[in-house]
Order: sequence, then C-alpha cells, then structure tokens
Amino acid sequence: MLAWSAVASATVAFIACLAGWLAGGGAVEVAWAPTLGLHLDLAFDGLSALYALLATGIGALVFVYGAGYLPWHLEHLPRPHRDAWRFWPWMVFFMGSMVGLACARDLVLLFVFFDLTAVASYFLIGFDRDRDARGAALMALLVTGVSAVAMLVGAVLLYNAYGTSSLPELFERADSGPTTTAACALIAVAALAKSAQAPLHFWLPRAMAAPTPVSAYLHSAAMVAAGVLVLGRVHPLIAKSDAVLDLLLVVGLVSIGVGGVLALAQDELKQILAHSTISQYGYVVTLYGIGGATAAGAAALYVLAHAIAKSALFMTAGAVTVTTGETRLSRLGGLGRRLPALAVASGIAAATLAALPLTLGFFKDELFFSAASEHGRPVQLLAVGAAALTVAYIGRFWLGLFVGPLRARPHERVPPLLLAPVAFLGLLALVGGLVVEPFARLAGDAAEVTQSGAVEVAPAYHLDAGTANVMALAAWALGALVLLTPRVRDPLVRAVGRLGQIAGPRRWYALSLLGLNRLSDWAHDKEVRDLRNSITAVLVPAAALIALAFAATPTRGSYDVGSIALGDLPIIVLLGLGALAALTAARDKGRLRPVLALSVLGFALAGVYAMVGAPDVALVAVLVETVLALVFVGVFARLPPTTLRRPRRRARNAAIGSAAGAAAFAAIWGALSRPTATAGVAAEHIDRTPDAHGGDVVTVILADFRGLDTMVEITVLAVAVVGVASLLSRGRAW
Amino acid sequence: MSVILEVVCPRLLGPAVMVAAAMIVKGYGDVGDGFSAGVVVALAVALRYVTLGAERAERSLPALRFAPAVAISGLLFALAIGFFPVILGEPPVTHYPRAGDPVVEIGTLELTTAVAFDVGVFLLVAGSLVELVHQLARLVEERRP
Repeated sequence: MLAWSAVASATVAFIACLAGWLAGGGAVEVAWAPTLGLHLDLAFDGLSALYALLATGIGALVFVYGAGYLPWHLEHLPRPHRDAWRFWPWMVFFMGSMVGLACARDLVLLFVFFDLTAVASYFLIGFDRDRDARGAALMALLVTGVSAVAMLVGAVLLYNAYGTSSLPELFERADSGPTTTAACALIAVAALAKSAQAPLHFWLPRAMAAPTPVSAYLHSAAMVAAGVLVLGRVHPLIAKSDAVLDLLLVVGLVSIGVGGVLALAQDELKQILAHSTISQYGYVVTLYGIGGATAAGAAALYVLAHAIAKSALFMTAGAVTVTTGETRLSRLGGLGRRLPALAVASGIAAATLAALPLTLGFFKDELFFSAASEHGRPVQLLAVGAAALTVAYIGRFWLGLFVGPLRARPHERVPPLLLAPVAFLGLLALVGGLVVEPFARLAGDAAEVTQSGAVEVAPAYHLDAGTANVMALAAWALGALVLLTPRVRDPLVRAVGRLGQIAGPRRWYALSLLGLNRLSDWAHDKEVRDLRNSITAVLVPAAALIALAFAATPTRGSYDVGSIALGDLPIIVLLGLGALAALTAARDKGRLRPVLALSVLGFALAGVYAMVGAPDVALVAVLVETVLALVFVGVFARLPPTTLRRPRRRARNAAIGSAAGAAAFAAIWGALSRPTATAGVAAEHIDRTPDAHGGDVVTVILADFRGLDTMVEITVLAVAVVGVASLLSRGRAW
Repeated sequence: MSVILEVVCPRLLGPAVMVAAAMIVKGYGDVGDGFSAGVVVALAVALRYVTLGAERAERSLPALRFAPAVAISGLLFALAIGFFPVILGEPPVTHYPRAGDPVVEIGTLELTTAVAFDVGVFLLVAGSLVELVHQLARLVEERRP
C-alpha cells in the first residue's frame, strides 16, 4: 500500500514534469529574506526538465521494482514489514529533493537541496542498520556533506564579490577573475564529490550496502546525478575559467580510467556496476570540461542514456540475487536460458552502456566522440580508450551472468514486479535507438541551459567512415580484445585494485577519521573527567584569550578610574555586599552556605543593574538567580550527606579562579572605561520603539526588531528540551 | 522540609501565575516579557517539586503533564505569528498593526501581533522549563537509594 502510493506520487510527478516540459516550463520566485538577497528562485527549464523527468520517471520504475523487492529484502534479513515505513518516505523525499535541486536557480538554494539529497541517501544507505551499512551511510554523508560546504563557501565568495547568489544574475555580472575561478573550483569540488569522481569516488562502492532499489535510484537519477546536475547548472560560470575546465577534464578522464579498471577487477555484481558509475559520470565530467555546445549536448544525452541503462542493470543484479541467492559473478553464469526475458532486457541495457547501434547508447558515444575530436588528438585517443573500457567491463558483466555454463540454479522465475521495470527500460533504450528525436530534444533543451545559448543536438546514424564511426569501431575492437584476453587483463586489474587498497583515498579517509576520533576522545577525556576539569576548560582559555588581547592592544588611556558621587552610595553598598558574598562562597566549606552566598551575590548584582537603568536585565538576573538557587537546594536536599567532600588541590583551584577573575576584571574595567556609544543601531532602536507601539526598548527588540533571532532561539530551546527528554527518558515527553 | 514551607510553597503558584499574566498584559509597554513570565510560572512549579518531591507534586497538580503539549503549541503559535506575514507578501516577523496605525487597547493590554508572539514565547518557556524540571526530578528520584 505504502509502496504503491509512492509509485503513484512518482507517476503523478512524472506526468506533471512532462506536461511542464512540453508547455515550455515556467518559474516561481518568492522573496524569502529580500534584505539578504535570499530568494526561493525555482525555474523549470530544459535542464530541470531533464533531471526532474529522470528523478520521477526512473523513480516510478524503481519504486515499482521496490514494491516487489522490499518485502523479499525484509523477510530475508529478517525484519518486520512495518520497517517499510523507514524506506518509502525517504525514497519519496529523495525524489522530491532531487526535483527541487533540478529547479533551483540560486546557489544557496542549490546547496540546501544538495544537502537534502545527502540526508535522504544517508538514511537509505543505512537502511539495513548493520555495521557495514552504517559505516557506508556515514562515509557517503561525510564525503558528500563535507565537500558540499565547499559549495557554500564558493557561493559566499561570489555573493561578496557580486552581491547576489542568483545564478542568472551571476552569469551576467561575474568576470573571469580569480574570485570566480576560486568559487567555481570550490563548487566543482562539491559536485565532483557528489558524482563520485576520483579521488573522492570511494564512498560510492561502499554505498552498495544499500538495498538494490536504493542503489539503482542513487546511481541513475538521484544522488550521483546531483553532482553533474550542479555542474550543468553552473556551467556558464565555470566556462569563464579555463583552469576549472581543465580540472574537470583531468578529473573526468582519471575517473573514467579508475572506475573502468576497478570495475574489471570486481567480482560482486553491484560492485562492478558501482565502479562503472564512477567511470560513466567521468564521461559527463569530461564533457563539461571540454566545454562548448557539442559537449553540452553530449553531456545531457549521456546522463539520460546512462540513467536508463544503469538503473536497468542494477535492477537486473537485484533480480538475479533474488532468484539465485548469489551476489558474485564467479558463482553465476549461463542464466540466459533460464531467465530469457531478463537476459534480453538487460542485454539491451548493457548494449546501451557499451554504445552498440540500435540502442540509445550509440548516440551518447557518437556525440561524445564528436566533442572529444573537437578538443584535439590526446583527448580523442583517451575517449576511444574510455569507450573500450566500458565495452569490456559491461561485456564481462552481462556475458558472465547470462552466457557460459550454468553455475547457480535459479530457485524461481523472476517475479513480474522485478522484471517489468527492467523490460520497460530495455524497451525504452531500444526505442531511443530507433527514434532518437524526443530524447535529443530533451537533451538539447538541457544543453541550452548549460550553454546559455542555442544548442543543436542532432544525433543520427551515418553510414560512412566519419570520425565518430571510426572511433566507435576502434573502441569496440579494443574492448573486445580486453574482454577476450582475461589472462592478461586479470592480473593487471587486480594489481591496480591492490594498489588502491594500500595507498588509495579510502585508506586516507579511514586514517583521518581514526585520527579525528582519537583526538576527540583525548580532549573529551581530559575535559570531562571531573567537574573541575570542565570548568577549567572554560575558565583557562577565557583567561588566556583575554591576556592575549591585553598584550596585543595598547592599554594607555583605556583604563579609567573615574570619580564617585554621593548618589552612587547604594551601588557601592551592593557591590561591597556582592564582594563579601563572593569571598564567602569561595572560602566556606559547608554545602548550602556557599550556594546561598552565590545567590546573595547574584541578587546584589541584579540590584546594581536595576539602579544603573537596566530593569530588564535586572528582572532576568533575579529570575535566573532564583532558578539557580532552587536547583541547588533541590539537588542538595536529595544528595546523600557524604557526596560532597572537601575539594582536593585547592591551590590549583585558587590559581585558576584568580586568573579567570583577573581576566574578567581587566576586560570589564576596560569596557566600562569607554564612553558609552549611543549612536548607531542602539539609538535607532530607541527612536523607533514608539513606532512599534511599545514602551520598553528591550522587549520591542526581542519581539519585533530582532524577532527573527528570537524565533530561531525559541526553536533551539524546544530542540534542546527534546534532546534532554531523549537523553534522560528515551524520548518520552512525560 | 519544614511544615511552613510545605504549606506555603504550593500556594505560591497562584500569585506566580498572576505576576506572569501581569507581565504579559503590561509587557509591551513596560519591563518584562514572555520569557520572564514563563520563568516565573516555572519557578513556582519548581518550588513545588523541591518541597513536595516529584511524585507528590505531580499528583497534586495533574495538569502539569500537559507541559510538553503547552511548550510545543507555544512554539508553533509563535512561529505561526512570525511567518504569517510571508503569506501576505511581507518579510517574516512583520507585526500588525503597522507603525502609525491605531492599536486596540483593553485596559493596558495592547492587541498587537507582537503581544501574541510574546504569549507563544511564554507558553514555550513555561512548558519547556516544567518539562526540564520533571525530567531532572525523575532522574534524582530514581537515583535515590
């Protein structure tokens, strides 16, 4: 039921997106905080249409597949069926955030949706809740989330330089200076990490701990696609900087190689496909690095063809595992006769990835080769090598599964819910190979956004010895050669795989995480070993910082002694009382007396506030002091008499206390010596208070002038209370 | 605890609520706001906990168990007041009536959205603090031998 409502929502969203695309799109702009230049700026243009159609269309098919797969998965573990509630809402949320990301036209908004997809993927990758899944989910969140911060930094850089975070405005205003280059590089880092490009690719194979529908969705239309979506969206900005374009080109080509070679080394089905995703998005990144109209069109068509093929292949891997119980290529084979429909459908998908004719994939490589040829000979040769790698690993995957001797016997026929989406996608890829116009139009519309100008995407079959055709033939031949020489290939790719394990980035990730954990444990251990250490951790750094400031700033004339008038007598009496109370609190060895002395000190200070004209502060001070006294009394009344012993190391306590006290004294004296600033914001607040129908400035500031701050603060208060409740009584409110 | 405390402390709740009400009614024109009012009410409740112990305090005043609900509704109310101007196309936390417009007054109470916002803050603070007192008191009671 839950699954089918998810399917229904995805289908409705797909139809809406399709209608939106055919109607020519549209835009919504809601000013969120206009003074900060923050807008909810959503537009449905060609690029949005491409990715939103993928997210909802592939989403609907993956959801259908999930409706068949998840019950099997839960039974297999075993877990109760109601755990589907931990799955489907996140899947729909994933889809929604992806559509939002596709439509966002503002860097800050882009960042928000970017992180929402990361959050959704975190819960979905960690769905199985075992050690492996948790580690994988955390790795995905850390790698993509931390690098997403780079995108925010880039947005802030651009905002500071050009006063806007809106992309269309930035495209007009930004020049090709160092600021733009730095900001674009930062945004590119975030996008590349999300699209699992080397050297931040290692999270993606780990993320295979997720249930298969999640993998299928994550790799084809959501999470990983989000990275190249951002690249496509900000490309007019990136195109201003040749350095960033070259970075993309290099990273893309390296990723194609790393992903392709490692895919050849893998044995587990989903691992082969995961490494293939790294390689495939490497193509798209390479195309964005090449730049220009041809490459933009090729990139868009590439994303489209890859999404269709890759989701079908993932669902094939899951269906094979469901029917045979095996996950490894070495234990599978010859399934073609037993599962003919699955074999044909996934064969078309594999052919699409390998760019064979009569599939949509042929055109993606045709355009890729044309774009690479425009960029020069080295890239052209590398492109052929890349395509050959793709042919080799995807051929190894499909042939290993469906051809050869039968190894694992399928227990049952493929359930129709698992077969239907694969068959549909295979059919779609075939239709795309015969009638490419609708797909080309979608890709063209997307490329126009990427290119900020007219782009013509017109792939077609040319029966001649054109460059693209020759390159394709060379790639197939080379791929077949790699495929047919396993004795040469296998030791080589295994060596590369081992090298990656020893010195690869994943190892660096593990080491740095371990180091951070150790550091944190050490600091935590030092700080919270007893209460005095916690207090020391606040007092000593505070004293040290003030001493530093004291040493660094000129002090001449900033310490004023002033004079005492007769009217100040009550204040002096109160301060004297406070000083006496403080001494008592420090010296007394009893339990209740120091607390009461502290209260006296607090009330004396509240009295001083009231006299120097800060009644609001005085009121709050009185309330806080009362709360503190009451808490102490309440706790003491229930403590056993022996709990509070005389503190040891009195000398250390005295030294720390004196240092902090001296620092506070110096700071406050310095502050009081300055003439009070009445101009500026404070004066304006006082002037405007009658306008707000108020009499008390502080109250009006809290509720009106700084009302947004107050709203955030009260939300934080509520969250803190929820935190206390969950720590103390496992979330029970009462 | 002495008998006098046991008799006096529970009876302080009424006056405390009165003080809190006064702070809100006078609030916008004078010292004191929703936060202070909430703390005053929570203080009186906390005093009951200290003198009677958690169990008796909660038995004698069953309404306390609505504290979490009060806190949440206060938060939602305040957020609603803060964000409804967005629907009207104004920035968030725009208060009505606007500057210069006349204000309806009932006694000293001025009917503005700022006061309503303050009421939300009051409910949130009072409810949250009572909830905290409840949680901490339960902890203390459980640890007792």
